[in-house]
Amino acid sequence: MQTKTNLPSPTGYAGIVTKPPEWHTLVVFDILFNNLTTGLFLGAAVGELAAPSTFTPVATWAYPVALALLLADFACLVLDLGDSLRFHHMLRVFKPSSPMSLGTWSLTVYSLLLTAIVAVEFVAAAGWVPGNSAAAWWIRTLAVVVGLPFAFGSAAYKGVLFSTTAQPGWKDARWLGAYLVNTAVTLGAAELLVIAALTGEPLAVDTLRLAVGLLIVLNLVALALLVGDLYPLLSRLYARREFGVAGLFVLLTGVVIPASSLLAGGVPVTASVAVASLILASLGVRFAIVRLPHDAT
Amino acid sequence: MASRELEVVHSPQVETPPSRGPLSAFLDRLIGPFHRGEAPEHKPAMGFYTDTTVCIGCKACEVACKQWNQLPADGFAWTGNSYDNTGELSATSWRHVKFVEQFADNQPPEPTGNGRVSLHVLPDQPHDVRWLMMSDVCKHCVAAPCQQACPTGAIIHNEFANVYIQPDICNGCGYCVAACPFGVITRSTLSGHAHKCTLCYDRQKDGLVPACAKACPTASIQFGPIDELRERARRRVEELHRRGVPGARMYGSAPTETYTELHSFYLLVDRPEVYGLPEAPFNPWLHMLGDYFRTAIAGAVTLAVPLAAFLLWGA
Repeated sequence: MQTKTNLPSPTGYAGIVTKPPEWHTLVVFDILFNNLTTGLFLGAAVGELAAPSTFTPVATWAYPVALALLLADFACLVLDLGDSLRFHHMLRVFKPSSPMSLGTWSLTVYSLLLTAIVAVEFVAAAGWVPGNSAAAWWIRTLAVVVGLPFAFGSAAYKGVLFSTTAQPGWKDARWLGAYLVNTAVTLGAAELLVIAALTGEPLAVDTLRLAVGLLIVLNLVALALLVGDLYPLLSRLYARREFGVAGLFVLLTGVVIPASSLLAGGVPVTASVAVASLILASLGVRFAIVRLPHDAT
Repeated sequence: MASRELEVVHSPQVETPPSRGPLSAFLDRLIGPFHRGEAPEHKPAMGFYTDTTVCIGCKACEVACKQWNQLPADGFAWTGNSYDNTGELSATSWRHVKFVEQFADNQPPEPTGNGRVSLHVLPDQPHDVRWLMMSDVCKHCVAAPCQQACPTGAIIHNEFANVYIQPDICNGCGYCVAACPFGVITRSTLSGHAHKCTLCYDRQKDGLVPACAKACPTASIQFGPIDELRERARRRVEELHRRGVPGARMYGSAPTETYTELHSFYLLVDRPEVYGLPEAPFNPWLHMLGDYFRTAIAGAVTLAVPLAAFLLWGA
């Protein structure tokens, strides 16, 4: 028998029965700030531990910036809740089966360690303890080392959170977590490059220019894998022209402009253009990802 | 209230909480959610069996649900879809009667210029048309994606093995909404918290039948121990097959490769999609470990790039 077609689907009730959550612009910026803070920390920590003489001066500035970005991320996270005054309920349980719970705990530990690092730096800068105090140095180094897996966890959970849902697009995005963690590291390295250029660390700038260049190429691979996952839905939702324009935008802002800026030199202006362009590309991709279930239903 | 007085012989005394200062109230709000009560003893799993073949679309279940749970009205909206003006399950509609009109000639009547269907085009013969009705509700999944998603522990399986949202714990993150493959849970625009059918947990604790099942005049909605309901449903399907309804089938009474059984299952006479149910629901958590693995590998490879650059050229 044929079903009457007053409803969106010719088979009867809506073909897609899931409801998209009320996640909009704040979530887009939450993902972005999450990537910016965790990526910057990861880049600074890895640099400092691998080549301390080159990267410690850069990392010293990077951690406070990472903390400011983390606070912006927290603001987005809290404001996006239906009942923001209950944000602390997230810490009622530790539930590894829920990527959001795992992410919350990762972010909490990461934030505590990052705050400790910045506090030690602040205390040293204020002259309350000697800057080269062995105890302060060891506390800071310990926090950096212990913070690494938690920063990584904080960057990694977000994509899995989205892909572990029943929403069209998100549920098929097997490489979303990989793409987001890859972008976090890319953005972090680019931010570090700006800081290195501003603080006048030529060896750090040259090394980071190379690293960011390689990461941009790797990011393109991760994006291609993600688009491969989403292509069936994307091709249904958007016309070929829209798809082409979006692709061109991402290619320009995510590859061409930052790569050209890196080739142009390692001064603060070119580094800033590179990071701004990468942020723009990241925002575009994140908007598209967050919109997917809304457009599909 | 009159029916409640008839049903509950010993109504519990309502205690007025002592008045508190603002600091005490603030501390309660801060620390209260971390207090754990003693878990109640497990009871036999209870659930719903909805036989859509006897549903007459009276919506008594919707009304009873709203009345008992004190859910606000949704206003008067004309959907134009048969007699369904509720539209969908929501934070304020925990029961939703669906109406599906079907025509044998594969050609539903064409609307006229004003978008309406003339009455004279409706079929004369009863077998030309079929009107399917189904009272939809939360499926109370055995492995519920909403419960797996919930980061606050607000969504639990209670002692009757029903999926229950603790309204004082939920903070409205919305992850359960995204996780539900049936589109059941909704975040309220009033409270900001997620809401759905509680399977009348309060009534069950007092030994009462959920309001919708009690109100259903045709026993389309049946409530009871889940094993008994499954057996009853199996016999009903056999009976319908004998009586010439070959399309009769169960939905959600048994687990599939991608989803567990439902504690609210259905007897349907057409494909699940016709009723707005996913044909093969998929638990998103089946992908989780693989997604973490891919993310971890990609992250490690990505981090190796700057690490190599720092070690080779930065030192």
